Amino acid sequence: MAPGPDPNSVGDGAKRDEATIKVPSKDPKKKDDKKEEDLSEEDLQLKQNLELYVERVQDPNPELQKAALESMRQEIRASTSSMTSVPKPLKFLRPHYGTLKEFHKNMAESDLKKLLADILSVLALTMSAEGQRESLGYRLTGSEGDIGSWGHEYVRNLAGEIAEEYTVRQGEEASIEDLMDLVQQIVAFHMKHNAETEAVDLLMDVEDLDLLLEHVDRTNFRRTCNYLTSAAKYLPGPDDMLVLDIAYMIYIKFEEYPNALQIALFLDNMQYVKQVFTSCTDLLRKKQFCYMISRHGITFELDPEMVENDVDREMLQDIVNNTKLSEGYLTLARDIEVMEAKTPEDIYKAHLLDGRASSGPSADSARQNLAATFVNAFVNAGFGQDKLMTVPSDSTSGSAGNWLFKNKEHGKTSAAASLGMILLWDVDAGLTHLDKYFHSNDNPIIAGALLGVGIVNCGIKNDCDPALALLGEYIDKEDSSVRIGAIMGLGIAYAGSQNDQIRSSLSPILNDAKAPLDVIAFAALSLGMIYVGSCNEEVAQSIIFALMDRSEAELGEALTRFLPLGLGLLYLGKQESVEATAEVSKTFNEKIRKYCDMTLLSCAYAGTGNVLKVQDLLAQCGEHLEKGDIHQGPAVLGLAMVAMSEELGLDMAIRSLERVLQYGEQNVRRAVPLALGLLCKSNPKVTVMDTLSRLSHDTDSEVAMSAIVSLGLIGAGTNNARIAGMLRNLSSYYYKDASLLFCVRIAQGLVHMGKGLLTLSPFHSERLLLSPTALAGIVTLLHACLDMKSIILGKYHYVLYFLVLAMQPRMMLTVDENLKPISVPVRVGQAVDVVGQAGRPKTITGFQTHSTPVLLAAGERAELATDKYIPLSPILEGFIILKENPDYREE
Amino acid sequence: MGKKYENVFELLIETTVYKKKPGRNRHDPTQRFVNPAPSKRKEPLTYDISRRPSNSVEEEPKRNKNKLVSLPSLQAIKQEASQFKMLTVSVKWQKKVFEGIEIDVSLPPYVFKAQLYDLTGVPPERQKIMVKGGLLKDDADWSSIGVKDGQKLMMMGTADEIVKAPEKAIVFAEDLPEEEQATNLGYSAGLVNLGNTCYMNSTVQCLKSVPELKSALSNYSLAGRSNDVDQTSHMLTVATRELFGDLDRSVNAVSPTQFWMVLRKKFPQFSQLQNGMHMQQDAEECWTQLLYTLSQSLKAPTSSEDSDAVKALFGVNLRSRVHCQESGEESSETESVYSLKCHISHEVNHLHEGLKHGLKGELEKTSPALGRTAVYLKESLIDSLPRYLTVQFVRFFWKRETNQKAKILRKVDYPLELDIYDLCSEELRKKLEAPRQKLRDEEGKKLGLQTKSSSKDGDVKMTDAEAPSNESGESSTAAQQEGASSSEKGTHMTGIYDLVSVLTHKGRSADSGHYVAWVKQESGKWIQYDDSYPSVQREEDITKLSGGGDWHMAYIIMYKARFVSM
Repeated sequence: MAPGPDPNSVGDGAKRDEATIKVPSKDPKKKDDKKEEDLSEEDLQLKQNLELYVERVQDPNPELQKAALESMRQEIRASTSSMTSVPKPLKFLRPHYGTLKEFHKNMAESDLKKLLADILSVLALTMSAEGQRESLGYRLTGSEGDIGSWGHEYVRNLAGEIAEEYTVRQGEEASIEDLMDLVQQIVAFHMKHNAETEAVDLLMDVEDLDLLLEHVDRTNFRRTCNYLTSAAKYLPGPDDMLVLDIAYMIYIKFEEYPNALQIALFLDNMQYVKQVFTSCTDLLRKKQFCYMISRHGITFELDPEMVENDVDREMLQDIVNNTKLSEGYLTLARDIEVMEAKTPEDIYKAHLLDGRASSGPSADSARQNLAATFVNAFVNAGFGQDKLMTVPSDSTSGSAGNWLFKNKEHGKTSAAASLGMILLWDVDAGLTHLDKYFHSNDNPIIAGALLGVGIVNCGIKNDCDPALALLGEYIDKEDSSVRIGAIMGLGIAYAGSQNDQIRSSLSPILNDAKAPLDVIAFAALSLGMIYVGSCNEEVAQSIIFALMDRSEAELGEALTRFLPLGLGLLYLGKQESVEATAEVSKTFNEKIRKYCDMTLLSCAYAGTGNVLKVQDLLAQCGEHLEKGDIHQGPAVLGLAMVAMSEELGLDMAIRSLERVLQYGEQNVRRAVPLALGLLCKSNPKVTVMDTLSRLSHDTDSEVAMSAIVSLGLIGAGTNNARIAGMLRNLSSYYYKDASLLFCVRIAQGLVHMGKGLLTLSPFHSERLLLSPTALAGIVTLLHACLDMKSIILGKYHYVLYFLVLAMQPRMMLTVDENLKPISVPVRVGQAVDVVGQAGRPKTITGFQTHSTPVLLAAGERAELATDKYIPLSPILEGFIILKENPDYREE
Repeated sequence: MGKKYENVFELLIETTVYKKKPGRNRHDPTQRFVNPAPSKRKEPLTYDISRRPSNSVEEEPKRNKNKLVSLPSLQAIKQEASQFKMLTVSVKWQKKVFEGIEIDVSLPPYVFKAQLYDLTGVPPERQKIMVKGGLLKDDADWSSIGVKDGQKLMMMGTADEIVKAPEKAIVFAEDLPEEEQATNLGYSAGLVNLGNTCYMNSTVQCLKSVPELKSALSNYSLAGRSNDVDQTSHMLTVATRELFGDLDRSVNAVSPTQFWMVLRKKFPQFSQLQNGMHMQQDAEECWTQLLYTLSQSLKAPTSSEDSDAVKALFGVNLRSRVHCQESGEESSETESVYSLKCHISHEVNHLHEGLKHGLKGELEKTSPALGRTAVYLKESLIDSLPRYLTVQFVRFFWKRETNQKAKILRKVDYPLELDIYDLCSEELRKKLEAPRQKLRDEEGKKLGLQTKSSSKDGDVKMTDAEAPSNESGESSTAAQQEGASSSEKGTHMTGIYDLVSVLTHKGRSADSGHYVAWVKQESGKWIQYDDSYPSVQREEDITKLSGGGDWHMAYIIMYKARFVSM
């Protein structure tokens, strides 16, 4: 922008103005006359001409006036110099701005007056004082000619003034029609001249984004939408939804359905999702949509309106139901050659530690065997084979049975359930393997088998509803461990499905006075999962009543925290919808009230990046309370949940957490590592890694435990060698402390989760979409980790299996039109943010070329390295259908 | 098992009988085809309802027949026996899909399960068939279940053996009593510092690492105390035995109160006070005194010179040549010591040099030839090797000028494997020659090298350092005999020693600082016993205790002999 003159000097002194002009390469302190002397011949001539025009404009003769104005305009337009310096004509005209203004005021209404207004409008660009909006004022009284003829800078300035004017008029409730005409012109101009971002900015300022639809075209809609979607992250309240709405409509307009679907999913607007299906006629593309929906992990029923043909619909529904996920995952595993099952010892790598090799045939430690069970489950997740649980049992002493019985009591639950994890997504094989455990006479084993069924079915929907059929019978059994197994299994298998049948069987448990607390807690949690983000009132009611019915003593129990959490999950990401419930929660017993408050707040605003909520939560963390208050833990977690969605907020949250760590009370410090873990799931940032590594040696063992588990979370599924090394050293450092060692083992299992093929990140589609069920799973685990000693180190260690909700292959698998995997070369590199960049910038950097299927790490992006095929979705993640390129010529 | 199935299952068994005669069945109007398509069996699977023993069931089809004839859905069924309402469904079981299985809705679902039993081999009571609203119950009514024609059902169930708990319950470490948990750790507990008693704690930990000493102590009470041992020595010996036992049994740090009391009683110098606190003491003094006491009390009652257990374990016989340069006199003497001294001078950089230095000395004594005191040179050589070679680094000395005890911080390296061949006397060297050759051959073989004599010595087994220590439990006398001559049993000294424990001192001055014991366990782990905190250390860090800085530096180190059996 041109140098802003002193606002008071507009009318009076040309002299003072002159003095403030910055003339490059000239000493501004020189006197006016001297400066004149410095002018070149040419400039002098120009100056004299302009002065002449100014004089003539004031001539009474309209002919002369007109000629003068025309010439003046000519001069201004001809000066094409950029705005790094003030164009010469403008500079020379500056002293006369006041005169011309004065003259214009007294002119009679005429074309000439308009002409002069045009010129004044341009002159105001450099002369007008801040806040005066003279440029706009003259423009409105001017001749309304082509706005672009005065150059970009003029338009830009005008846009700025319009925005200001708009707010003023909004305040006065004055008409804005004249402004909108101008806006039209400006937007049209910007859109034509690669300045989509400015057009969008202007429209957002004047709150009329709909206009955009008229002006986008094939060449610029992508950049426009890109800008819209990324701007949405920083917009408050309903504006962001509005912006995304427009982006959706633009995508639909240009038949860019995958992107439209992405936004529809982001908005959680099933109507839009449906519209995508109905507007698109290509079956193959619909298949791609189904893959996208399945990755998002929502339950979605196709109806005949979307897909007419029954056979096609069934096939598409199969994709949505994720039935092929296991197959695709195994294809990836085979391609990368990691099918060979791994034992926990392969993960611990104890031989790399000095003198720490096992001390001979000592007795089995139940704790360590349990840890091995989890490690085995996480590492071999989804591969369908392992070396502890699925090995074929020989007739006398089946080794499978053996391992199961190497776990103690409740440990057997986790061991039996680990089968579900190993056979993840492979419902048929999973149920087969689990079947025999149903007939056991040992309750923990039955519980494990039930939970295993739930895990196997995680994210997979099946018409026969095997999980419901099998688990439904056990919900009201006598033994509470069996009940919990069934309830938790249902929660995992039907997360996000909003299944009424399950609600009607689980809700009564909540208000059953005789039910034990742990059963109630898991029932609330499972209902929360099943109705995640649904704002279902009935479920909310049941949980609220259950919370109110709890006795003082029960409210002090560690597991009680699952009740508010279940309630919170109902409102996951639903922002204001939570307010009514939050109001009710204020009437709860004070022991749980604040915990509930924090949980509701953090869940409702999870992933929104809402700065005000972050501030609220930070304020909570900063308080120094008497002992015994537990609500600060969820506040810290909430901080991470709210801020996790976009990079900038994430970095800021990490920084704030460092401060919290320094100044917070002990119970706050304990939650900080978990919050860090949540922020960087499966994304081992070095700074976070270092912080956690430091905290893992903390004198407070609970801080150390959560730091260790978080190390596992940030490295989950990455095989990160550095974290693996850290954990190995920790395992030798803590080898005497069974609890900490258990945490280290779990973390080791997480780092090597799925042998490095899985991710825990709930974000997908280039970090735009947040899978609600995945987030629910992680948040549940983290809440459980807030009281590690009584939950995970106690007898509820199987809450670790909630992570399965977030487990997804971090792959890019290309399939042909018949959905058979094909191998094509792709470039994989670090994603580059190209929002607002001109032209067609490269979207990845530092890439390597691989052939599919490939693994994508956090922050990586893939692009096809061949023209032979066209991907049906621009977001190359998960399953991608490739179509042969008809224009492709073999070289 | 058979009884449980009752009539329907019996019927099923008959089915298997009858399907062998398809010709007869084909004309039987009451029989049904079951699954003609993908069954592994070629012939259609059938069973005969008319032969059902139960009357009540038999009546049912008739009733249904009348009722159902008029239903239009019948037209869909093309089978010849289509008077009955049939549903054709496909059943998915594991990865297989069985197409075209017919359900007779007039019969209870148990019959359907029996059909599936034939196909899959899963007993009906193990079958779980998913239908809307849950599992298919054996006595459910088909019409209320709402199975549609052509529907895909899913069945779960296996014929696998049901898992049973192993007969022998698995014992978990967590359930074990405390002392057994200790053995699981692979090393014993630490010792509580009772106030500047780190000198004692570290000494005890180092000596405890000698299993032979432990077994000798455990035999002590049996042997009874010999008369020439005074009361306090006896008490100290017993206290030592008890303390060793406590350490082995406990997981948590042991408080050596009793032992300390007795030690102070026996050696009052250890109870010196300074500012109301017990003074810091020299670990070497404690070590020597304790060993001396033990050697006195552990002398077998038969009391021959050789049966001194401690001497057999730690004693080094030195043969010295005392030589006076002035007079040319020469005499030789033998002595027995419990440790070799490593003198540290400016030239000494390595343990070996220090030991050599320590075996040479000057002494002044009256020369009978000269009739006055003269300087004699004394050169000692090792005449017999101990099982455990103790080396003391002479780091503390009395500074005459300042009347102070001072510490030498000089770095003196010591190896994990010490060869003291060249410190031995001629006779001993000769004895060692053959075993050393064996050892070299063994090692060569281990490395895969072919040595000249290897073919001959193929059967030679090198006993690892642990081997003799294990058998030493048998009796202390065996160890004693072995220690001295080590020939009867076929194992031979080689003059090569492995480092087993290090007692270090940390601190710059001689009067203050901290003693710590570093002990190699039988498992090969090195454990640092810092009073009550044992922690695992890496082997390469053990050799870094050689001094030269402010870190722990070795003060007393103990080597264990390596044997070779011939």
